Amino acid sequence: MSTTTPQAVVDDHAPSHADDHEHHPTVITYWLTFVALVILTAVEVLWSYLPLDGVALVVPLLVMMVVKFAIVGGVFMHLQTDFKILNGYWFTLAFGIAIALAVAVYITVYATFKFQI
Amino acid sequence: MAETTATEDLDHEGAAAAEFADQLNDTPSDFVHHEEHYTSLGLSNMKLAMWLFLGSEVLLFGALISTYLLSKTRFITELVAGNPYVIEGISNGENGALVNEMIAEASVEPLFDIPFTSLSSFILLMSSLSMVLAHKSVTEGNYKNLRIWLSTTMLLGATFMAGQVYEFTTFYREGLTYDGSLLGTAFYTLTGFHGAHVTGGLIMLGSLIYLSFKNKMQMDRAETVELVGLYWHFVDIVWVLIFTIVYLIP
Repeated sequence: MSTTTPQAVVDDHAPSHADDHEHHPTVITYWLTFVALVILTAVEVLWSYLPLDGVALVVPLLVMMVVKFAIVGGVFMHLQTDFKILNGYWFTLAFGIAIALAVAVYITVYATFKFQI
Repeated sequence: MAETTATEDLDHEGAAAAEFADQLNDTPSDFVHHEEHYTSLGLSNMKLAMWLFLGSEVLLFGALISTYLLSKTRFITELVAGNPYVIEGISNGENGALVNEMIAEASVEPLFDIPFTSLSSFILLMSSLSMVLAHKSVTEGNYKNLRIWLSTTMLLGATFMAGQVYEFTTFYREGLTYDGSLLGTAFYTLTGFHGAHVTGGLIMLGSLIYLSFKNKMQMDRAETVELVGLYWHFVDIVWVLIFTIVYLIP
């Protein structure tokens, strides 16, 4: 005779909200994330004051922006833990495709304005 | 006798289990109230819906940021070329030095007050931290801390908005009006839409604080706090982009 209770059956099919929270970052992680974001923002601002031009100025700023974007999304918005299907390789691939698509759309729109007849 | 009792116990357990299963099937709200239905992603429907909404918001802000970049490029090109309509559009009779500086640098950077905007960015980042700590508090059942962190988030968000109003006022006095130039239109539309989103977030936070004081924001409603948090962090992420693309990159 099976000893499985209805509650156990429910648990198998529906992960509880409390289970989700067990995987969420700790308070210390949140504080460390905040410190990292503040440091990155400070470096960004300092970098913008350096006597640099062109790629040397813009690329590091864009890289820091993307890192901040990923940190807020991954830790504060729980993307790292919530979207199990998007972890690791799949997350990187999906993120890369989305970025490539966004850049392609921007270049297309820009070219439309730039080279209009 | 003992065997009869054991059988009765088994029957009793079986009946209780069947009754429990029936109740789950017939009236799930009594047992799993506020528990969300989960999708195959392991997320509740509400959270997935919020992510889809945020995805549509990405398209909105992506379009606004692209429009700003295109407008800025065209504005600077025309300004440096000496187009009288563009120069007139940003001149208010008192800002000649500022306009000349923009032409000399071929950039809109002289218009911006980077230290002030950096402070605004810091405030918004801090509000994201307090928001996530509010969510942590409600999941731990610490309602006093929940109210403290929600109020802190709201206060920081309101401070950010006050800063944006101050910045808009300053820019307007310096000659950057909404309808005077392509740059002004694109800039105010982008940052204005962001400000409107922050204001929407402040209203949501106010509602959460009100419900919390009414003791209607308990552990079983933690996901509501998380959903508002997702929206708030998204607003923060958009500002991360705007701060770098609009203010820091000349």
